[in-house]
Amino acid sequence: MDVIPSIDLLDGKVVRLLHGDFARVTEYGDPETVLDTLDVPRGSRLHVVDLEASRSGRPVETEIVRRLAARDLHIQAGGGVRSLADARTWIEAGAEKVVIGTVAADAPDVLRAIVNELGAGRVIAAIDVRDGIVRVAGWERDATTSLAEVLARVEDLGISEVLITDISKDGALRGPSFALYRSLRTGMRIIASGGVSTVSDVVSLSRIDSVGACVIGRALLDGRIRLAEARARVATPNAIPERVIPCLDVRDGRVVKGVNFVDIRDAGDPVECGIRYEAEGADELVILDISATDANRSTALEVVHRVSESLFIPLTVGGGVRTIEDFRALLRAGADRVAINTAAIRDPQLIADCATEFGVQAVVLSCDAKRTGDHFEAMVRGGRESSGVDAVAWCRRAEELGAGEILLTSVDRDGTNSGYDIGLLRAVTSTVKIGAIASGGAGNVDHFRDAIEAGGARAVLAASLFHDRRLSIGDVKQFLASEGIPVR
Amino acid sequence: MNTALIDSPVANVANIARALRAAGAELDVTRDAGKIANAPKLVLPGVGSFVAAMGWLTDNKIDAAIRDAVNRGASLLGICVGHQLLFEVSHEMGTTPGLGLVQGEVRQFDGVLPVPQIGWNRVSARGPLFEGVENGVFYFVNSYAAWNAPDEIASADYGGPFTAAVQRERVFGVQFHPEKSSAAGLRVLRNYIAWT
Repeated sequence: MDVIPSIDLLDGKVVRLLHGDFARVTEYGDPETVLDTLDVPRGSRLHVVDLEASRSGRPVETEIVRRLAARDLHIQAGGGVRSLADARTWIEAGAEKVVIGTVAADAPDVLRAIVNELGAGRVIAAIDVRDGIVRVAGWERDATTSLAEVLARVEDLGISEVLITDISKDGALRGPSFALYRSLRTGMRIIASGGVSTVSDVVSLSRIDSVGACVIGRALLDGRIRLAEARARVATPNAIPERVIPCLDVRDGRVVKGVNFVDIRDAGDPVECGIRYEAEGADELVILDISATDANRSTALEVVHRVSESLFIPLTVGGGVRTIEDFRALLRAGADRVAINTAAIRDPQLIADCATEFGVQAVVLSCDAKRTGDHFEAMVRGGRESSGVDAVAWCRRAEELGAGEILLTSVDRDGTNSGYDIGLLRAVTSTVKIGAIASGGAGNVDHFRDAIEAGGARAVLAASLFHDRRLSIGDVKQFLASEGIPVR
Repeated sequence: MNTALIDSPVANVANIARALRAAGAELDVTRDAGKIANAPKLVLPGVGSFVAAMGWLTDNKIDAAIRDAVNRGASLLGICVGHQLLFEVSHEMGTTPGLGLVQGEVRQFDGVLPVPQIGWNRVSARGPLFEGVENGVFYFVNSYAAWNAPDEIASADYGGPFTAAVQRERVFGVQFHPEKSSAAGLRVLRNYIAWT
């Protein structure tokens, strides 16, 4: 899949409009300076949108396209191409392809004339969609034809690339419309646009068969995505499998499971569970010790030791870790990684100390988050008490301190089987570089896909679903593979 | 035939021992240079710092014992940092000579993707060590690796291809953790134990 950087031009500068509103402009500077900052290499494709042209209906920034084309960039230029003359203007300015929106939806005769003169290979049809309805012309009125009709018409002309933007998401960093792209049936190569805000979004798009490229604008400008990293990840989309992780909540030597952290019931022997899960294809095992008293902590160490003795996959253990000595004791007992929760909120230095002593790969931040109004709050003491700390800010701080990964549990969803909290996942995965393990709410196979695809999780965790054998780990992995998501 | 597992303090010896036993090895976990020099089959584990791991080998004359054993025709398997120790040189915290049993140098990932690499990664492998798991997925934890090693028998991709395993005659090395790589990892260990 091609990853195409995109710049919007207004008055000779690179800008972004929030929700397409010309009154809400963010300016980023001269095009050349911006492209150097973004490390756009020679030979790269570049998507250029002339915003003034899209508003006024005639090409304006042709001189910039001429300058950029001279830098050996393969430019696809657009914005307000209404006529054959407009299209010709862009090609004469040095654009390799011209991006055509309005007439693709409204005026098939004009589109046909452009294709006849320039050739279908130099035309990209651009379609803006909101809630399945085609929208054009600066997003200020609805087009008269349906998306399916427009796609069929464009394909009939021999055009092979179609740029589809879900404008309800564009620029707001809420994520691409994966479901829309999955649902489209066309022989054309889809260029996905809008809402790409993390490297994970790029990777997820690359896993959808019909998507041949994506354009990235604001996320590059804001530094949320590095072009080289995104391109490296999609160059080898199947190298790094996504992980499915069963979780054992252990109390007094037994696996237990509660709903919303209370109403605990027995779910079996930890060693037997661990062995069964590894055989089913678990990529890692998480043990959370929820013992109520210190006296039972030694029991927990013994459980960790016994489970690790019968396991040949990584083992992460958390629960009640208060000091660097607790951390060390769990590693000695056989844990590969240790998750810290309440103690780290009280003493963030614990994360840094453990990372220095044992390496970042051993340190997992366990964050229990609860929706509070329009943000998320980090909870302590097994999700029962509020900490007053913002969960997303806390995850970012933990990353700076040396946490290697975040085990992110939605307290609201835990045990409900109603799906992971995708909003929580995106809030964290678009803020930190380290991986997040999605936890809390898994109820069916779609939930696992959504956590990875839309939530940006690098691993998906579930407990009761697997304990109760409503789904096996194999079921989940088989489904993920069928959706184009690589698994081990 | 006993396998000598070198009991380095800069290694996760207990986990490796358990996996080797599960793979059918009869183990002698030892720091005795004499035993190591005369062992027919050796495993060199290692985690953490190359400098610390190599320092322990030289301080205790284990480096010479390993070379003696290999010269006598012993087979050797290096794991993770133990694999890196087999190379001529590492550029972790300055430049440190390794055992020089395979050609090449160990360098940090170039930073395209986050380091350390922590997680599963698919290899493309050949040769007796990978029989049955030529395209297996293994568990890696590393910031450093060798690239295009002349003795490469397996590569993986992390922002570009790197050397996941090497073999030079009877000397093998794997960058991943077979002891954490479930059935595929145990298969590699079984192949090594069975190899003559």
